[in-house]
Order: sequence, then C-alpha cells, then structure tokens
Amino acid sequence: MYQYDDYDRRIIIERAQQFRGQVARRLSGEITEEEFKPLRLQNGLYMQLHAYMLRVAIPYGLLSSKQVRKLAHIARTYDKGYAHLTTRQNIQYNWPRLANVPVILDELASVEMHAVQTSGNCVRNITSDHFAGIARDEIEDPRPYCEILRQWSTFHPEFAHLPRKFKIAVTAAPGEDRAAVRFHDIGLRMVENAQGERGFEVLVGGGLGRTPVIAEVVRDFLPKRHMLSYIESILRVYNLAGRRDNKHKARIKILVTALGVEEFRRRVEEDWEKSRTPALELPDAEVARVSAFFAPPPYENIAADPDRLISLGLGRDRDLGNWVKNNVFPHKVPGYSAVVISVKKPGIPPGDVSDTQLDAIADIADRFSFGHTVVTHTQNLVLPDVKTSELPRLHAELRALDLGEANVGKLTDVITCPGLDYCDLANARSIPLSLEIAERFDRIDYLNDVGDVSIKISGCINACGHHHVGNIGILGIDKRGEEFYQLMLGGSPGNDASIGKILGRALAQNEIVDAVEKVLGRYLEIRDSIDERFLDTVRRVGFDPFKEAVYGSADPLEAAGGD
Amino acid sequence: MPAANHWIVTGNFTDDGAVAWRRADGTWSRAIAEAGLLADEASAKAIAARAVAAEQREICDPYGIEVFAEGTTIDPLTARQRIRANGPTTPIRRPDSGISR
Repeated sequence: MYQYDDYDRRIIIERAQQFRGQVARRLSGEITEEEFKPLRLQNGLYMQLHAYMLRVAIPYGLLSSKQVRKLAHIARTYDKGYAHLTTRQNIQYNWPRLANVPVILDELASVEMHAVQTSGNCVRNITSDHFAGIARDEIEDPRPYCEILRQWSTFHPEFAHLPRKFKIAVTAAPGEDRAAVRFHDIGLRMVENAQGERGFEVLVGGGLGRTPVIAEVVRDFLPKRHMLSYIESILRVYNLAGRRDNKHKARIKILVTALGVEEFRRRVEEDWEKSRTPALELPDAEVARVSAFFAPPPYENIAADPDRLISLGLGRDRDLGNWVKNNVFPHKVPGYSAVVISVKKPGIPPGDVSDTQLDAIADIADRFSFGHTVVTHTQNLVLPDVKTSELPRLHAELRALDLGEANVGKLTDVITCPGLDYCDLANARSIPLSLEIAERFDRIDYLNDVGDVSIKISGCINACGHHHVGNIGILGIDKRGEEFYQLMLGGSPGNDASIGKILGRALAQNEIVDAVEKVLGRYLEIRDSIDERFLDTVRRVGFDPFKEAVYGSADPLEAAGGD
Repeated sequence: MPAANHWIVTGNFTDDGAVAWRRADGTWSRAIAEAGLLADEASAKAIAARAVAAEQREICDPYGIEVFAEGTTIDPLTARQRIRANGPTTPIRRPDSGISR
C-alpha cells in the first residue's frame, strides 16, 4: 500500500499542530463555537447529539495491520472501546473529548492517517471497489488512480470551498459496480476502447440525499493521463456555476440537472480545451511510481482447485459451509480467496467494531492476508488475500471473535446510518430497526432461501444509509416529533442502478419490520423460481402485490393514507 | 409541581459534547431533572441568546425546548430530545468477545 513521503508526512503533522492551537483557543473561550465550527469540520470533527464525533479518513478503505492496531488503541484509550465503520469506507469515533482530539490526530499521523477533508464542502475520501487489486473481473488495479486523486485533492486550494461536499468513486471492474459510482458526484469507470486502450468512462452528478439522481455519462472515454485535468474542469464548472444560495440545491447533481447533461458537458469540454496543460497530464513514470506501492504481495504458486470451495461449501460443517458460500469471493490468483468479515451480528449495532476485535483482526490480517484489511461501504471488512486452504482455520478464529456471521449480501447484512441515536441531523432511529431485523431473520436457512437482497436504512433524507438504493429501503421521518418510517422498494446501486420508490403511507416503528416481513413473504410466494432475486421480482411484477401484502390494498390512494 | 408544559434551555458542553441543561441559577447540568423551568418560549429564547454570548466557553449552541413537567420529572416532547436526555437507545459498547488485551 501507499507509504507517505516527507511531504505527505509534513502536511499532516502541520495540520494536527494547527488544530491543537485551535482547540486550545476554543477550550479557553478565546474563540466561540461559531468561529470554531468551520475549523473543526475541516478536521473531521462533528458535534452530534451526545458528544463530538471524529471521522477518520481511510483512502479507498485500505488499512495496514499497523493502522488497525492504532485504531484499536484510539478506541480503547480515547473513546468507549469501539469504532464505527461508515458507508464511505471511513471510520468514526462517537465519544472523543475535545481536549483529546489533537492527541488522536497525532496518533493517527504516526501511522500515516488523518481526519482531513472528512467533512466540509471539499473533495471527500476517494472510495473504490473493496475488491480492488484482487478482483477477477477488473481490468486494472484502480487504487493507484485513487491514490493520485487523494494526493491531488488533499488541500487543493482551488477546491477547498466548493458549493457543497464532493464525492468521487473509482472502479476498474466494468462488469460489476461494487463502488456505487453512479451515485457519486464523479464516478470513474475504467473501460477499454475499441483500440484496446484503457481509460475512464466519466459519470457526473449522481447522488442520494433529498434529491436522488443516477449519474450521467459526461465522457465515454477519457485517456487515463488526462484524469486530473478533466476532473479539474468538472470541478471548475461546478465551482463557478453551482448554487451557493441554498445548501439543498448546491450539489453538482442539481447543476447537471438544471443545465442538462449536454450543456454541462459542453462547458466542461470548453474549459478543458482552454485549461489543460502538460503539467496536469499524468506522466507514465508517476503512475508507475504510485502503482509500485500496490504491487501484488508475494503469493505462493498454488495450483487452481475450483472444487475446493465447492467441497467446503457442501461439507459437514454447516456453519463453515454457509460462511464459505456467502462470505468468500473469487480472487484473481489461483489458490487465494477474498473474505468479507461481516460486522452485522444480532444485538450489536451494524458496523461497530470493538478495540479487542480490531486488535485481533490486525493479527489475523498479518497471519492470513499479508497484513491488509479493507473497509467496505457496506460497513464490513475484507481480508483480501486469504489462501483458500486456510479458510476453515480463519473461519474458526473469526467465529471466536463474534465475527463469523455468514450473511454477506443477505437480508441481515443491513447498511445503517447512525440515526437519531447519535446523529444531529436524523429524524428517526436506524440502529434499533437494524437490530430488530437482525434478530427476527437470524435463521440461516431463511436467509439463504430469500437469497441476495439488500436492506438499507437512513434516519433522515440525507441518506447516509443509502436507502434510495436498497432493494428494500427504509427512511426515517419526523411526524410531529415522533419517529415514522417510509418503506421503499426497487433500488440498486450497481450497473443496473435504480432508485427505490415509496410503497405507501409511512409506518410506525412497531410496524416497519412487520412490513418488511410481509414484503419478503409475498416475494417468496410470487417469485417465478428460487433463482429470481427479490429485485428482479419487484421489477417484474411491480408494487401492487407488495402494497397488498403490507397495506391490505393495492389502491395507491388507500395505501398512501394521506401521508 | 402541577403537571404542565414549560420551557427549558439546553446545549452541549464544549469539553466533551455531552448534553447540557441549564439550571435556574445559570449553571449547567448533565441531568435534565435539574433544568430550570421557564414559563414560555420567549423566556427560553432570551436566556439562550444571553448564554450564546456569556457562556460560550462552557456551552455550545444553546437553545430552548418545550417539555412536560410534573413533580420532579421533566419529559421532553419529542423523540430527539428524549434521546438527548437519556442517551442512545442501543448498546454503546460491543460486548467483549473474550479476548484478553
């Protein structure tokens, strides 16, 4: 993985020193909260309902075991013994004291980490495919390009005060989008053109929030060497023309929609023709230099044995078999597998990892996966390089850590925002619903029968839980100070991107999980075979059978209930 | 005290972000039961505005909320304020998995 050079190290240490002074002035009362707020937000420090929250950047989700141990140490020493995995491959600490935050930043800097640009109207953490570098279906490792984007965007003076926050995701697997690139401000999809050259399809203006939009293709093929100059042009057009009068209308998706993609493209191309200079072209030597940090680890030469996984999946140990079927994914190197560690266990808030688990995961990563761990945007962890022959031993160790759930991609692998238990923006709680879902459906045969289905829960319209792109989405709303929930069906974040639609009237907290169960029950009744996924059934039959199951009527007016 | 709706002033402590409730004597507590009751929204707004200026070192972003008070009990009227008063409704720390440190 990438190693900081002197410049990287210096700017992070300097930023931590600056923030130490700012915190001291806030604690002494020399500066007010109003003055301090923009300073703390630039360092990833929020004020939530009960405490400060520090969001730590994890570029493209990749962590060394040394970094994981440091995150465990911070959780144990400065927080309440856990860290929380976010939906953009970062982690959050929910309980730091203000006086300790500069110390935490020093600790992070000591392992080449920081909290810079995890908040505010700037370019945020660059995210990617959690199987980047090992996926069989990728045409090239996207992480060097993510890293180049990270370096380019960090403290970029022209883009430090954008109209609104800005999120970029990169994938190099054209066949399956695991990075939700169509729901980012910019999505880069590596593709090959007719001449066999590799470049990026550039998508712009995707996003969730109160106005969900699927990104539009602004350029079919961008040679890789022009990645930075073209993105600068996109950002420049946005910076100049994006709205600043209304934060709810300030994201680039609003600008692209208002102008129309053709006019937006024309402006970008016009700027690009004027502004591109050789200085912004990516030299092959620099790409090679950065790529060298992502060289494959010293894999053993193991003969391909495709039957091995099948036999593990069908073996006598059913726990192991289910885990292999649901949590183990193909690797491009014969004899190796990618393992997704589920951080979705009944009784535990989704994405919460304790300090002891983090320490143990670091040890496991060292012994099983060349010291690497990846945070997924689905709030799980990946061990990217596990020898297939070691899967039974790994599974036993994970199970002893309460990390052996065999539910990846299944009903109980719920994406959940912090919701009203923590978040100052939320209207309703998310985590209790997720826990209720985990408890009610925690039967492996049922999970396997229902198959691949995603549930995503957001406690407000800001959509941190990605509810718009859940096959089943749940959105918390406020009705006269009380929590209610809208049920949505039909969303998907991938290559078949779609935005879910509201099924009917909002439901009370004690109704919503029952409604999910009724939807799933109807799906099991009407799917045309066990191979028809939930999403495909919804797309085939529409909403009426599900409205009837939940509300007792397919009549949209009756189902809407005047809500 | 007879049961009735009142107003109180709340914010977050600068030191650790914990929820703060303003007592009648102008000091700040971590327990909602100690909050000073006010007759109306205008009183709460006036005190919050003064606190923004005079108590900003200790407290962030003070504001008034309506509550229901009876005897020694003060109950907020919204889910948000109930959760602020009582803490998260879900487990705060994962149970220890049995691994020694």
